[in-house]
Amino acid sequence: MGGKLSFEIEFVVCLRKRSGVFLLVPSRVAGFDSCIMKRLVACTAALGAFAFSGCGEKDGGKESYALVTTGVASFWDICKKGGEDAGEELGVEVEVLMPSSGDDQRSKLEDLLAKGVDGISVAAIDPVNQAGLYDEVAEESILITMDTDAPTSKRQVYVGMDNYDAGWMCGELVKEAIPEGGEVVLFIGRLEQDNAKRRRQGVIDCLLDRGKDPSRFDAPGQSQIGEKYTVLATLTDQFDRAKGKANVEDMLTKHEGVAAMVGLFAYNPPLILEALKQAGRIGEVKVVGFDEDEVTLQAIKDGTVHGTVVQDPYEYGNRSIRVLHALVNGDTSVIPENKIIDIPARQIRKDNLETFWTDLNFKLGK
Amino acid sequence: MKKIKGILITLIVIYVATAFLGENFLGGYNQGKLLERTGLYGLLGIGVAFVIITGGIDLSIGSVVCLVGCGVPWLVMKQDWSPEAAVMMAIVVSMCIGLWHGFLITKLKLQPFVVTLCSLLIYRGATRGLAEDQSQGFGGDYEAFRSWGTEAISVTSKFGIPYPFVILIVVAAIAWVFLNKTIWGRYLIALGNNEEAARLSGINTDRMVILSYVICSMLAALGGLLFILNGNSAQPSDFGNFYELYAIAAAVLGGCSLRGGEGTIVGVVIGTAVMQLLKNMINLVDWLKSHMEFLIVGVVLLVAVIADEIIKQRVRRQR
Repeated sequence: MGGKLSFEIEFVVCLRKRSGVFLLVPSRVAGFDSCIMKRLVACTAALGAFAFSGCGEKDGGKESYALVTTGVASFWDICKKGGEDAGEELGVEVEVLMPSSGDDQRSKLEDLLAKGVDGISVAAIDPVNQAGLYDEVAEESILITMDTDAPTSKRQVYVGMDNYDAGWMCGELVKEAIPEGGEVVLFIGRLEQDNAKRRRQGVIDCLLDRGKDPSRFDAPGQSQIGEKYTVLATLTDQFDRAKGKANVEDMLTKHEGVAAMVGLFAYNPPLILEALKQAGRIGEVKVVGFDEDEVTLQAIKDGTVHGTVVQDPYEYGNRSIRVLHALVNGDTSVIPENKIIDIPARQIRKDNLETFWTDLNFKLGK
Repeated sequence: MKKIKGILITLIVIYVATAFLGENFLGGYNQGKLLERTGLYGLLGIGVAFVIITGGIDLSIGSVVCLVGCGVPWLVMKQDWSPEAAVMMAIVVSMCIGLWHGFLITKLKLQPFVVTLCSLLIYRGATRGLAEDQSQGFGGDYEAFRSWGTEAISVTSKFGIPYPFVILIVVAAIAWVFLNKTIWGRYLIALGNNEEAARLSGINTDRMVILSYVICSMLAALGGLLFILNGNSAQPSDFGNFYELYAIAAAVLGGCSLRGGEGTIVGVVIGTAVMQLLKNMINLVDWLKSHMEFLIVGVVLLVAVIADEIIKQRVRRQR
């Protein structure tokens, strides 16, 4: 999951920055500038509220929380539903924002601070370099992370799973799909974000029977050769679906003997299936997926995808809101010692598909 | 022929190089896929070429691709429309988009860049709202409808001429005749060279400019339709992103001048093929790393344009 650099958004941010003076201003000054902006916005809002109602209390005094995702995807819609359900149950307001890039996430977070929400749960895009931004947010509101952690930031707790472990589980599925070994190609949206790197590394380390070490990083263009399994390459598509499909086709051309293909972002497995179908090679090349795209689930049912690893985005959203609400009300007992609330991933194969799918549809209200 | 010499040589050089360096490049499957991709992206290139010839620009192509690519499956799957009705809707909407752009540019005298930049945001935003940011596709249904984007006319067991490429050839042929053999085509080129002079010589330039935007948007819609039929998966927030730039690049590579008044349809098709061939090459040649794609494509395109310009200048001097 994650954001992307899109031309139009970049352009808008550019314009925004230009009109807001701080295009060539160092970040500290820029921070000062946005601080003034925030105060201005707050003042205007307060004045407005005063003028209209004569009282400064917002929306009946309900607490308001926000979930900020890494991008737009069905994955995040499930998360949104989880958050909204929790909000309804607790009687608090929940807002879900889906930015389209790292820059966009920054401005969305700034807007939320200007608005004055009581707590934010954010999915980090670039945990190391964005730690500063998250610290800023943590100072002005209550901040926790979900899906992708930013462990070096001042976030209070992380709600999610370890992508490295989930990748490892995905590797186990590949081993089941081609027990006799063979060549494997990985497809993923982008490798810039931390969760993608760890997920991919988990698959590779499992296939090569290495010891677990999440900090390892193999160059994406290089083949990793193990005893039974060879990971030929990892191809990225930057969220361009046509490119994602072309990548699969080019790999079918280049490596005629490829035994399995793994799609590591939600939309990758359906693209792999589409390309295999058009090449008439479905069933011949094994497919393993990640996440719960409907096409992937249907393919598991049909037997054309061996299995998939699913996270629990509903629980990410739901638990985030509950934790934020507890923290706002002064209950810090929700934070475990290691500051990680583990929501483990699961392997879905044909045998447990029905139960999972029914539950998913129920949560989505389908 | 002179106009497309540079780009044709580029195409041949890259083709031969990839045949030697890449694995299985010449296999029927890969050749078919190359034609398919050229077909899909080429339609967008031809569309924008018409606008560029008049001296305009259309930045909204990617968003029209998104609107149609997400809108058609949304109508068919979520609103229970028939594929025919959804396609009719796409035709009408894209025609209206073109008319609207043309109207704003000719009657209100707005700059094409600004008009279509706003459109770029508006159509994508509208699509995201319409589809509620959900991925769109046909699932496993409508195989016959989808075959327009996926099937091919078999030649051998592994190689076929894909329908999108056949469609491109038909569109390109019509466009070529229109541009080179009809009076309207002459008008377009004349007004691109000097709009004032064209108007004074009695050409209804506004009508021609509007026409060029209509052609561009309708071809973008056709491209968007074929993209979704082919790939079967579209996410409103990123489907078709950047495609206007690929289209413009292909048109310029193919000999269209951004100053207007110049352009060839064959060149645009070859320009598109060069772009797709380059991407294919990067995936097939071992020592070319895929994260260097933009770098390689950018450098090759720049070299091609420089070489082309030098050839042209030399030809001019010899005269």
